[in-house]
Amino acid sequence: MATVLNQYVRNVFDTAAAVFEGMAVTCSHFVRTPSTIQYPDRTDVRVQDTLPYRYRGILEVDLEICTGCLACERACPIDCIVIDAKKDKATKQMMLNRFDIDIAKCMYCGLCSEPCPTGSIHHTPEFEGADYSLESMLRRFVKEPVAAYKPKKVEDDPKIAPILERGMKYLDEFAAAGDEIEAEAEA
Amino acid sequence: MSIAGFEVEVDRGGGLETEEMTLNMGPQHPSTHGVLRFVVKADGEVMRRAIPDVGYLHRSIEKISEKVGWHGFMPYTDRVDYVAAMFCNQGWGMVTEKLADIEVPKRGEYCRVIAAELNRISSHLLSIGTMILDIGAITPFFHAFREREKINDLLEELCGARLTYNYMRIGGVAWDLPPGYEESVLAFLSQLEPMLDEFNTLVSDNTLFRGRCAKVATISAEQAISYNLVGPNLRASGVRYDVRRDEPYSVYPELEFDVPIGLGMAGEVGDSFDRYWVRFVEIKESMKILRQCFRQIPAGPVVAKVPRKLKPQEGDAQIRIESARGDMSWYAVSDGSEFPYRCKVRTGSFAAMSIIEELSPGLMLADLVTVIASLDIVAPEVDR
Repeated sequence: MATVLNQYVRNVFDTAAAVFEGMAVTCSHFVRTPSTIQYPDRTDVRVQDTLPYRYRGILEVDLEICTGCLACERACPIDCIVIDAKKDKATKQMMLNRFDIDIAKCMYCGLCSEPCPTGSIHHTPEFEGADYSLESMLRRFVKEPVAAYKPKKVEDDPKIAPILERGMKYLDEFAAAGDEIEAEAEA
Repeated sequence: MSIAGFEVEVDRGGGLETEEMTLNMGPQHPSTHGVLRFVVKADGEVMRRAIPDVGYLHRSIEKISEKVGWHGFMPYTDRVDYVAAMFCNQGWGMVTEKLADIEVPKRGEYCRVIAAELNRISSHLLSIGTMILDIGAITPFFHAFREREKINDLLEELCGARLTYNYMRIGGVAWDLPPGYEESVLAFLSQLEPMLDEFNTLVSDNTLFRGRCAKVATISAEQAISYNLVGPNLRASGVRYDVRRDEPYSVYPELEFDVPIGLGMAGEVGDSFDRYWVRFVEIKESMKILRQCFRQIPAGPVVAKVPRKLKPQEGDAQIRIESARGDMSWYAVSDGSEFPYRCKVRTGSFAAMSIIEELSPGLMLADLVTVIASLDIVAPEVDR
């Protein structure tokens, strides 16, 4: 009987000690800096601005530097990019008639922006894509047919040069950009 | 049943006439880590049998591979096990490289190991955090998730996503380490160490937690081997087997690490506490591997030149990697075209699921939750 009682008292004591130890750790967090942030309205800067450069948010296309090569359309595993590019017989120029991205289908894998030769199609840090209808998730980038971009050795158009610079900087992040096209040419 | 030193007498028939009760647990039960369903035949609080019912998260991922091609399948592998997606990335990369005879540059292999080990830490943190949550303690879960959040931030900096990474490519990785990455990872590791000690005080040394897990659902080494358990579940039963050490791949032969096994610290070898503890020690081993990686990583390219229209020669290949949930096997068949002919993934959670039926007789109903959590079953990995 004495041993049972002894055991009982020890158990109560051990449990109380364990609870006290745990509470000591928990209470020590009252005086530490909190690690939670008040999203979305009480952050110092917009969350989108704090995201790393490689963040894969909603896709965007800079039509000014799109060459109409269809590399992104081929790379997309779920066919959420639809491009209609045709050569205009009169002017002999590649015309972009349609460039749609279905954001509702997109899984933000980043396979499309990797083979782009100019960095035209790229991910933005924007991630708030909720909308009321599926139709509004379909982003049409071509409003009326435009001529596709023709790569030059040195870009001299002051309007296009900064866009191209941004695109090339985006491409520099990828380890494989450019390599695959070379390998394909060899094969 | 031993609960904090007391022996609870369970009346198994004999005296009162009781009727067997069939209970349905799941598929949307909060403690089942996804969509799992159990049909429990119980006698009061004591289970007679718990029959797992799988298939609620089947997404035909293996079939999808036949439609999207070798390169395009990479983002889908993220969804095989979305808690530890890096390993699935690596598995698909390795099996295709084996088929197409592609050699990954040394730096690419190191990048892979760094990403994978970071992912292993985050997966184990989730596993032990949710295990404690399922048992009934809420605070430690937030401690584990606070640290996991920091790893998510690190991986976001590396590959631009927090969960579905799509970081690896066939022939290497998509992005090199960003500038200053070594410093931020090492800073994270050095602050993780005191946090783990704090976690020990809070959870591992806690009498209540030990009492709750000790001798619950003990799996013997023979049982673990015959049910084909892998990874931490197998090691907790005292079998020292790790694919990284026994069938080394990638750069693991160049790295030094221990393979922890269950020691029966709280009760018996192979009980729920051992499975918890093996994961906890593996976090420390992964930290050791990460530190070595940053010391040894060479300069150079991170990805081999792979044509965009990849056509591996006819044949089949099979590789094995040590995922966070144990030995993950990838098998792919090529018919020489742009699309895989067949792909098969063998994952650890499926085997872990099958042993529950064997373990359940005689356990309390509340222990079923402990068993699921301690086996670290992730539902998407069971069904794929």
